[in-house]
Amino acid sequence: MASLQERLDEFKKSFESGAPPYNAPHEVIETMHRATAELKATGIEGQALKVGDRAPGFTLFNQDHVPVASADLLRQGPLVVSFFRGHW
Amino acid sequence: MELEALQGINSEVRALGAQIVVLTPELERYTRALHKKLNLAFDILTDLHLKTAEEFRLVFTLPDYLRELYKSFGSTLDRFHDESEYRLPMPARYIIDKQGIIRAADVNADYTIRSEPAETVRQLQTLAASN
Repeated sequence: MASLQERLDEFKKSFESGAPPYNAPHEVIETMHRATAELKATGIEGQALKVGDRAPGFTLFNQDHVPVASADLLRQGPLVVSFFRGHW
Repeated sequence: MELEALQGINSEVRALGAQIVVLTPELERYTRALHKKLNLAFDILTDLHLKTAEEFRLVFTLPDYLRELYKSFGSTLDRFHDESEYRLPMPARYIIDKQGIIRAADVNADYTIRSEPAETVRQLQTLAASN
């Protein structure tokens, strides 16, 4: 199976080609590049919590409306936490 | 793609005594559908109004010109997130140890760049070996 980054690169290539199925206009691609470059330039990546920091605890609802507490999960073992912007 | 990639390593992660959770600002009606569609073996948690993402300092506001662009695609974040300010989390993957300390942090402002799930597995192996 292709690696995650290979699949992301493949998607990006397809999107930025302007061809179907996305048919992305050139201006749209430029706008997205501009936004990413501007975000990087703010230095936001350096402000995020990093290795050695204490992770904030959380209690949040899962997809079945069951509350899940990070403290309960951490009692069982290490936790991989992925922040995902959404399906859209 | 991140979710499918995490699904691909879930059994290895569990074998190492660890667990995966995904945090998203999306409301539960959307996480429920997505969870079902991808048949995920781990939870998707709704980080309502990005409260936890804020504590990890991952939140940014979409510039006006990008909001308009996404709206033109039909993506209205206020509907998905119950949020009118068009804020998003940067994509990030963390490993937190049992003591609550961050042991790996992968954060990228460019959402087309992600670290490999295999790297996360290696980091968990290193963590397991050091305990």
